[in-house]
Amino acid sequence: MGQVVDCFYWDPTIRFEKELQLVSEDIGKGITLRKPVFTIDVLEKIIERIKTARKEYLRTHDIPAVLEVIDKVNSLWQDPSYTGRKLARDVLPTVTGFSVEMIETWGFDYFFDIIKKDNLPLAGKLQPNNFREFAPCGDGLVKAYGKPHVTHTNYEPEVIGHICAGNILGLAAFEMVMDKLVDAATWVKVPTEEPVFGALYAKSIEEVEPLLAHSIAILPFSSHDTLVQEYLFSQSDLVRATGGEQARRNLTPLAEKHHVPLAGHWHKFSFIVIAREFLQKQASEIAELASLDVCAWDQQGCFSPQEIYVETGGSVSPKEFAGLLAQEMERTTQAIPKGTNSGKMQVLDGYYQYFTKETMGEPVKIFASKEKQWLVIYDESNPNCEPSPLYRVIRVKPITDIMDIPQKVKPLSSFLQTVGIAIPQNRLLAFADAMGQAGATNLRTVSGMTLQKAWEPWDGRFPLQELFEHDSIHWVSIDSKDVDTEIQRALKRKRLIVKEEFSKKKK
Amino acid sequence: MVRNILRFPSDEWIKTFKEELNKNKTYQEVAKDWEGDFLFVITPDEDLKKETVFYIDLWHGKCRDAYLVKGEKQAKFVFKGPYSNWKKVIRKELDPIRGLIRGMFTVDGDSRVILDQAKAAQELVNIASTIPVVF
Repeated sequence: MGQVVDCFYWDPTIRFEKELQLVSEDIGKGITLRKPVFTIDVLEKIIERIKTARKEYLRTHDIPAVLEVIDKVNSLWQDPSYTGRKLARDVLPTVTGFSVEMIETWGFDYFFDIIKKDNLPLAGKLQPNNFREFAPCGDGLVKAYGKPHVTHTNYEPEVIGHICAGNILGLAAFEMVMDKLVDAATWVKVPTEEPVFGALYAKSIEEVEPLLAHSIAILPFSSHDTLVQEYLFSQSDLVRATGGEQARRNLTPLAEKHHVPLAGHWHKFSFIVIAREFLQKQASEIAELASLDVCAWDQQGCFSPQEIYVETGGSVSPKEFAGLLAQEMERTTQAIPKGTNSGKMQVLDGYYQYFTKETMGEPVKIFASKEKQWLVIYDESNPNCEPSPLYRVIRVKPITDIMDIPQKVKPLSSFLQTVGIAIPQNRLLAFADAMGQAGATNLRTVSGMTLQKAWEPWDGRFPLQELFEHDSIHWVSIDSKDVDTEIQRALKRKRLIVKEEFSKKKK
Repeated sequence: MVRNILRFPSDEWIKTFKEELNKNKTYQEVAKDWEGDFLFVITPDEDLKKETVFYIDLWHGKCRDAYLVKGEKQAKFVFKGPYSNWKKVIRKELDPIRGLIRGMFTVDGDSRVILDQAKAAQELVNIASTIPVVF
């Protein structure tokens, strides 16, 4: 039987003068998505309503009350039998191309930790002078770089807009929650690639506290719809946008035109670094963890690794490590497969390109999955940073010393983001500092690259602070105070995921 | 009864705050589980030229001690912000939790514990706002 899914949300009691036109899109497997055709009249009513709901709820309830609502909503989503989650499970694999295992396990069971009440950041702004060396923040460390130069302050934003990229599930939910911590009404443009989840999450808020939900509007529209974008920008105190270069080029002048501060999160380059100390007895374990970073979200995230740098001088050579990684890629892919039509061409292209190189005697070695679900390429031929074709295609490159990496990646400074690390504590801070100076923003223990913690900076800025103030401080975080403990924790998590997924498959 | 108008911040103010708090049945109820002393640090801006620190020892709905600190003092929590923001809190123009989120105050100590006791924090503000004050 077919499913009809509405990709929009606002207070259902809003009455429009003319009947709202809806467009239906059949995306296959009996799923039809419905999206409205927006006019300015319709948007005016929606924006007016989110503003009044803000006054009625957010300005009259304390923060703990709001957090209680969020907690209850998240509890709904943690329950696999919740109707919203069941619908998401049915629909999202077709919509996104991710496997149901990715959505259920990595998405709902782990990624959503970021918006759990106990994990939300409550101190929105840190004083940079207290963090001129790496110092505790959350369960990790942060350091501030640069001099403060405030270009925007608004402690009482009335309306915040969000333009969400389509590569990662759950971003719309994160944005809705963050806005409520600063008492702002919210509109979210959901991505064309994944227009479903935002509306589902907003509806789940409505189930718990309708008036809070009415301060949110989920709006699916095309990025080519300039009339809609112009209007929404004109009504906003701030817009946060995620996307690639095209989005940056389109949205920056729009924000300037309407004098709206734009918190932009654009294309990024992330990678993994493995120090020789972890290539003794722990090499297989590190390969196990690295495979999860490569597989998570089919490597589509800005925080997903595009290359792995492996330090020479350990018991296990970088080439041997690549072999270990290949074994783990197979295991992890069996547990959390790629979506049915996800990225086959990327794997095949990489395979044939490097097969030719290997045949011609270049210093490369390919490790390929039989079903072409993933590809590990050991590559000594090109020491430069290279973007990956993604979709679980990863290059492993040798490096003589991890401290050579900051200089190597510096040409990509403005694109650097997450560094997955297996580096011993006694070398980590110096490396982190050098990477921070090179432009990276987050160092996360390997396997946790795609598990942003709510207290961490995002592209060098704290996500909560960004909603009310822009200064030019560049924050760099390390996700844990103790790498060894974090690696052990990560191994338990990874093995639990694999065990549970294999167990489900046996049933 | 005519109450004296007290300057904020001052030792007289914080001692009056202690007296009022210990008379307040609502506070005693909402803070019955609270254990933890505070330093309230008022950093200079506007007319306040020098940093001023209050110590306040809160224990299961009562204030055991409160005074203007001269010299060094440690406490479980340090709640710090500029004078202008403290004025807003006392005038009930700013909720301290919202102030914390917006970076208008900072806290040393587990902010989550404070959040869990938000009703107690709000009652502290309510009490403070009843003391006739001049800034």
